[in-house]
Amino acid sequence: MSIIELSEVRKTYPLGKTEVQAVKGVSFRIERGDFISIAGPSGSGKTTILNMIGLVDRPSGGEVLIEGKPTSKLADRELTTLRHETLGFIFQSFNLIPVLNVRENVEFPLLLGAKRQPKKEAAEWVDFLIEEVGLTDWKGHRSNELSGGQRQRVAIARALVTKPKIVLADEPTANLDSATGEQIIELMKKINRDLETTFIFSTHDAKIVDIADHVVRLRDGLVTENFRRERAGAEA
Amino acid sequence: MPILVRIALRNLLEHKAKSFIIGGLLALGVVILVVGNSFMDTAAAGIRKTFTENYTADVFIHAETTDPVSLFGVQSVGGREETPAIPDYARVRAIVEEADGVVGVASQVTGFALAAPRDSEETGFALMFGVMPDEYSRVFDNAVVVEGRMLEPGEEGMLLTKRQVERMAEHLEVEFKVGDDVVLTGLGNSGFKIRAVPLVGLIEYKADTEATEFISYVDADTLRILMGLTLGTDADIVLAPEATELLASVSDDDLFGAPETVDLASATAPEPVPEAETAPAAAAPATVVDSGAWHFLLARLERPAQAERVVKELNGRFEAEGIPVVAEGWKAAAGPFAQSVDVVRIVFNIAIIIVAIVAVIIMTNTLVISVIERTGEIGTMRALGAQKGFVRKMFLVETVVIAAVFGLVGTALAFGVLGALSAMNIEAGNAFLEILFAGKVLRPSVNPMSVLWSLVMVTAVSVVAHVYPVQLALRIQPVRAMQAE
Repeated sequence: MSIIELSEVRKTYPLGKTEVQAVKGVSFRIERGDFISIAGPSGSGKTTILNMIGLVDRPSGGEVLIEGKPTSKLADRELTTLRHETLGFIFQSFNLIPVLNVRENVEFPLLLGAKRQPKKEAAEWVDFLIEEVGLTDWKGHRSNELSGGQRQRVAIARALVTKPKIVLADEPTANLDSATGEQIIELMKKINRDLETTFIFSTHDAKIVDIADHVVRLRDGLVTENFRRERAGAEA
Repeated sequence: MPILVRIALRNLLEHKAKSFIIGGLLALGVVILVVGNSFMDTAAAGIRKTFTENYTADVFIHAETTDPVSLFGVQSVGGREETPAIPDYARVRAIVEEADGVVGVASQVTGFALAAPRDSEETGFALMFGVMPDEYSRVFDNAVVVEGRMLEPGEEGMLLTKRQVERMAEHLEVEFKVGDDVVLTGLGNSGFKIRAVPLVGLIEYKADTEATEFISYVDADTLRILMGLTLGTDADIVLAPEATELLASVSDDDLFGAPETVDLASATAPEPVPEAETAPAAAAPATVVDSGAWHFLLARLERPAQAERVVKELNGRFEAEGIPVVAEGWKAAAGPFAQSVDVVRIVFNIAIIIVAIVAVIIMTNTLVISVIERTGEIGTMRALGAQKGFVRKMFLVETVVIAAVFGLVGTALAFGVLGALSAMNIEAGNAFLEILFAGKVLRPSVNPMSVLWSLVMVTAVSVVAHVYPVQLALRIQPVRAMQAE
């Protein structure tokens, strides 16, 4: 069973008295442990698709299935719980909570769920993730004291803290210089290998697309390419 | 420290302008409430002390009526209604004296009359309390004699206030002199009654109120006659056997057969209270009391704070024994004269409500701006798995934290203001201010409950102000996190 399946997903936005079709019937599957890039130029619909996979936006038609479970009819509370338990987010603008320091930002998602980990175990896990992203010396700093790359590292640690099966990253390198962007992608790739977390990221940077082992290319709200690199010849 | 409190405290510091606007309003609100309530409490205590010490005592007992009753009579809409006498007076008095906390009881008749020196055509108005002087002076140490002397027990006579005498002399050209007779014309149940009693003294109240200037004292029997009330006892009269025998030996002709000259002078003399053996009351009072018709009983308590309990207890007893009598607090006794403090408090509370509404509007606007500024942050939290309840709780905690922090700042400021006012030794320039200040110098008192109430009020205002912004925050979809810059 695919970890994510999109079936004839459409998204229409109202624009004044007319409507804009951002996604026009998209279907593809993502397997567990994939490191997948949703690529395409601006306006191709990649962020819209990422939003619908991330359950932060609802499709106008079609279905998004997470681990085989249809999500279109879930209530807000159920969607929120599913997001919290299954998904991690890395945002283009990092979206750290400004009044919290690095450690608190990473820890934050752990405080939202109904199930709580034992305190000591949770603290060790948070410290481990901060070490993994190389920010041990910056634990007590707030986001405004960090560089863009450091902020995105915090966001990566935060995305992983609930041990999600899927991490979504919306243009994670868009606000970073190319060297830092490559480092971030390398870090994501390492975590993908080590923790077998599925990574789905949108980008229009060709160099970053090359690192992905599964690429879905979009244009004008439609899939134009869908291929895997490491599993030669295996179309998704 | 819980994450929500950390976020709330840091947001307070982070958004200084917002915090300053909301916090400033809250602190100002607390200052107004604490200082205002302190003045109200001080004035209320002063007014209560003045009234209870002067003429209302702590508990006021009267016969049941359809309209409100004060010591000045029934306040009826359609005109002056006669104040009914207390039924089963001896039993009622015994119940009152038995009540826990009662240390003194005085009986009173109230009436109005026109007062004039003998042979004078000009008259003045007199509000009269008919009392038993010895019993009354044990409950009220309210006046000093400035000329003449006090009424003696059983003596017929009256006391006027010096101010009233001066005022009547000034405006009506009516001269009253101690020792002269005062002719009183009263309109009671049985028509006009005219009595002449000696003016035995002039008094001055230790603390003036609007009412005290007009209150004169007269012996109870004189006032009963003026008001057409029953004299003497309403208890069972038990005649001695020889008296019964004597009455039986007298025929109707002996009594009414022969015409006699009527002495008009003696006809206006006070009807003597029959000497009678009364059935012993359930608990005999310490002193011999006149058990004739009385309008009111006034009870002095060991501690004024017991009033509410004693009133409740007495009403329970009266109801249980089926006596149509009501016990009330001092404000009921003071009637319209004590309403000034309530009026001031009502005006103050209306002002506070207006300030609170303005504060809610300003705070709501400020919080709406804050929610708009934090759209990305709220969207991010929702995307990361925060339920709507978490967002609601976060704003509530922030509201309560800001209310608590600035509420305490406001309390400290209020104490500073009150301390400064106390240190300034502001003197009461006149009798009215002396009542409001509850003394000769302003020493505003602070009631801890009033401070607590003020903090609860500002917290409530903050919570009301945060409702709409929270609704806006809850409408923020997690997708907004993706749009945050």
